Amino acid sequence: MKKQIKTIIIGFLAGFVSGFFSTGGGLILVPAFMYLLDKESKTARGTAIFCILPMVITSSFFYYKGNYIDWKIAILCAIGGTIGGYIGAKLLKKLSEKTLKIAFTIFILYVAFNMIFK
Amino acid sequence: MGEIIIGIISGIISGTGMGGGTILIFLLTFVFQIEQHVAQATNLIFFIPTSLIAIIVNIKNKNVDLKLGTLISIYGILGAIVGANISINTQVENLRKYFGIFLIIISIHEIYSIIKQYKKEKIDKNKSKI
Repeated sequence: MKKQIKTIIIGFLAGFVSGFFSTGGGLILVPAFMYLLDKESKTARGTAIFCILPMVITSSFFYYKGNYIDWKIAILCAIGGTIGGYIGAKLLKKLSEKTLKIAFTIFILYVAFNMIFK
Repeated sequence: MGEIIIGIISGIISGTGMGGGTILIFLLTFVFQIEQHVAQATNLIFFIPTSLIAIIVNIKNKNVDLKLGTLISIYGILGAIVGANISINTQVENLRKYFGIFLIIISIHEIYSIIKQYKKEKIDKNKSKI
């Protein structure tokens, strides 16, 4: 496949998921950059987060128009997120990534079944 | 106060690169019973300040392919317009089901990456024995 077509599909798909679920764009972009466009893992992650911001800003506009933004919750969560992001970066050096991944996966599966079947 | 704690948990997970947004949306809907659309919108606002710092650091460390990034962003914005508009017009029960299916896809991806990592560690161990 031509590189240009790949870029269009990857970009559009990541944007669509990002707009529909408001999350998950990185899940598409990082592996796509690495395996379809041969980027290094570091560049893939860095470029992904760079691309997601404009998608998020675009989506925010429509969620705002749909009256779905609760500013109080959003600002409180963002404050917590900034603190957590700092702790996370430090903690990652101490905890094993594998343990975290396994815990995360089990948790996500539990949530998924709850959401689909309840 | 609860919101700040949820933010901290999600921020920690974001720092490890494993979908902090997904956890944030789940905790808001599950623990606080916040409507799925509102939780998703919260995640969008949550992402902007936290990612800005990461983007600046990544550009400084030359971890951003600016040419590719700009192209992907343009197509991504088009995708986001379509995705967000469909989402806000989707019934909340259906949106939650789709989100659940989406989470299962994420778990499959995670399981795959855990197995891959495990295999790689095994190979590395064998190499060091030799």
